[in-house]
Amino acid sequence: MKRSPLASAILWLVLIMGTAAFVFPLWWMAVVSLETPDRAEAAITGSAGIALFPPSPQLGNYADAVRETGSVPWWGFVDALANSVVVTVLVVLGTAVSSSAVGYALARLRFRGSRPVFLLMLGTMMLPGQVTMIPLFLLFRQFGWIDSILPLVVPAFFGNAFFIFMYRQFIAQIPESLVEAARVDGLGHVAIWWRIVLPLCRPVTAICAVFTFIGTWNDFLGPLIYLHSDESATLAVALNGFKNQYGGLEDVHLLMALSVLTMIPCIVLFIAAQKTFVEGLARGAVKG
Amino acid sequence: MATVTLTKVGKLYEGASGATVRAVEAVDLAIADGEFCVLVGPSGCGKSTTLRMIAGLEEISEGTLEIDGRRVNDLPAKDRDIAFVFQNYALYPHLTVAENIAFGLETRRAHRSAVVAALSGAGAARREESTRIQARVAEVSRTLGLDPLLARHPRELSGGQRQRVAVGRAIARDPKVFLFDEPLSNLDARLRIETRTELRMLHRRLKATIVYVTHDQEEAMTLADRLVVMHRGRVQQNASAQECYERPANRFVAGFIGTPPMNLVDGSAANGVFTANGAALAVPASIGTRPCALGFRPDRVRIVARGAAGSIAATIAAVERLGDRTDIALDSPWGRLVARVDADAARDAHEGDAVGFAFDAAHSHFFEPGECGARIVQG
Repeated sequence: MKRSPLASAILWLVLIMGTAAFVFPLWWMAVVSLETPDRAEAAITGSAGIALFPPSPQLGNYADAVRETGSVPWWGFVDALANSVVVTVLVVLGTAVSSSAVGYALARLRFRGSRPVFLLMLGTMMLPGQVTMIPLFLLFRQFGWIDSILPLVVPAFFGNAFFIFMYRQFIAQIPESLVEAARVDGLGHVAIWWRIVLPLCRPVTAICAVFTFIGTWNDFLGPLIYLHSDESATLAVALNGFKNQYGGLEDVHLLMALSVLTMIPCIVLFIAAQKTFVEGLARGAVKG
Repeated sequence: MATVTLTKVGKLYEGASGATVRAVEAVDLAIADGEFCVLVGPSGCGKSTTLRMIAGLEEISEGTLEIDGRRVNDLPAKDRDIAFVFQNYALYPHLTVAENIAFGLETRRAHRSAVVAALSGAGAARREESTRIQARVAEVSRTLGLDPLLARHPRELSGGQRQRVAVGRAIARDPKVFLFDEPLSNLDARLRIETRTELRMLHRRLKATIVYVTHDQEEAMTLADRLVVMHRGRVQQNASAQECYERPANRFVAGFIGTPPMNLVDGSAANGVFTANGAALAVPASIGTRPCALGFRPDRVRIVARGAAGSIAATIAAVERLGDRTDIALDSPWGRLVARVDADAARDAHEGDAVGFAFDAAHSHFFEPGECGARIVQG
């Protein structure tokens, strides 16, 4: 199908406008991160216009931002980065492993009450996180888990309703005969899940991993509630350190620089995983 | 290799309405070592369920199953030492052909390796085992002509090639019993016939015990040492293909085995004459006087001139020319009948022609009335 030049022009225009709307805040964040302290302050308070390019890019802002993060120069940043990485990796692993295992059980095992269990699990998706926040906090305090990463990480190993649902739907489409062939070949349920089902679920796992990664990496509220000391803070919480005690902003240029740094892994991961998403959709899952 | 013995095996299902459904009923079957046994019947006759019970993929509700004289009712599939070839092949999509063939061998190794590793310097034993598996995969792929495909994934193969890999995967394990569930039904007609011949040759070479399920009676007859015809969850006849064809045990088998199917007419016999719907023909007097069904094969029918002695008037409804022979469908007082005649004899036959038909009374069959009415033994 060939589009007329006019239609193409309109299409391009719409796409460019849409892209601009999404890209501008990021661009502006990058611009401010390169400004001098005074110009950044002015840009934030609105007393100066919005510049599309910084007149004299201050690359040193990035080094300053990294040094100023947390209470110990340099090491504050390394600490926060390490915390973020550990929490995120554990949460991604836990979510993918537990959700796919539960999804397999719900899709393939016939047991009394499997349907009510499935519905109950779907029901939990309707609960806003704020509702369970205080009970959970009290529970974890009983466990003595406050100011450790356990409250952030352990729940991930008990599955995520949405991803369990995704895995279940996907696994239900895998031909029964594949599972039966594996049984004849001598595999038990755990081995079937690990060696046959999980490799076939790659597209779902990619989606699960990327969304969980982004959600956890950027999560602010969870770490804020459970991690109180400076050394246990994640990057998202460390960013908050650039606010002063009255909630106002100091060193906006440094905040923006650290924000840019924090965002990079998400963008890289998303671009890398895009291929797997498309591949998974295009290959028509497991047909053939 | 091994014998397979089923004694009063049955399968009960919980139906949707809570009622109990009997899918398979009192199946008695003794399959000898190295025998090619084919279960055949229309869909829903219980043949696949029976096969899956032998495999251990379905629980056995009643009766006993023995492999090599050992009761295996409660043994899981993996411990029965069987190989199963699925209708859709069930190749693992994420593994290459070589990995698919080796998979069953690898998992069996994995069972042992923990013990082996604990007892000895595991490295050497593992390497030895890997070499053995590789050799086995090479041997199997040579047998089936899969060598050029070993590095490919199932999605890159044609239907026939996938089928071959599925068979290769079964052979590699060298199981006691091979179970095939309609393995040819996803292939096109030509490939099906080729593969059929290959399977037969493979069986001769491996001297394997095979239980094979199909709904295609022609495929069943060409492959089987022993033919087990099933209908409504029961075994209707258990005999050689030739026996089933020549002496069908009941009316169902008579109608199911043979293409085109046997002509079956409900009527009654008296004093050496069979009458149905006012039209009568002579039959052997030994049949006695009783209501019964008369059966005669299409190739025993003769087309004669209208009004000839000992014939019944009929009209040609359709002519199907198959080259060397011709199938003629006849409308008669006995209903729609099929005659299979020499192509030369039927050269002048046309749809709408008024003719008569007679049949070879010595080759007629008689059955009790009803769908599965038993064969009436003459004499």
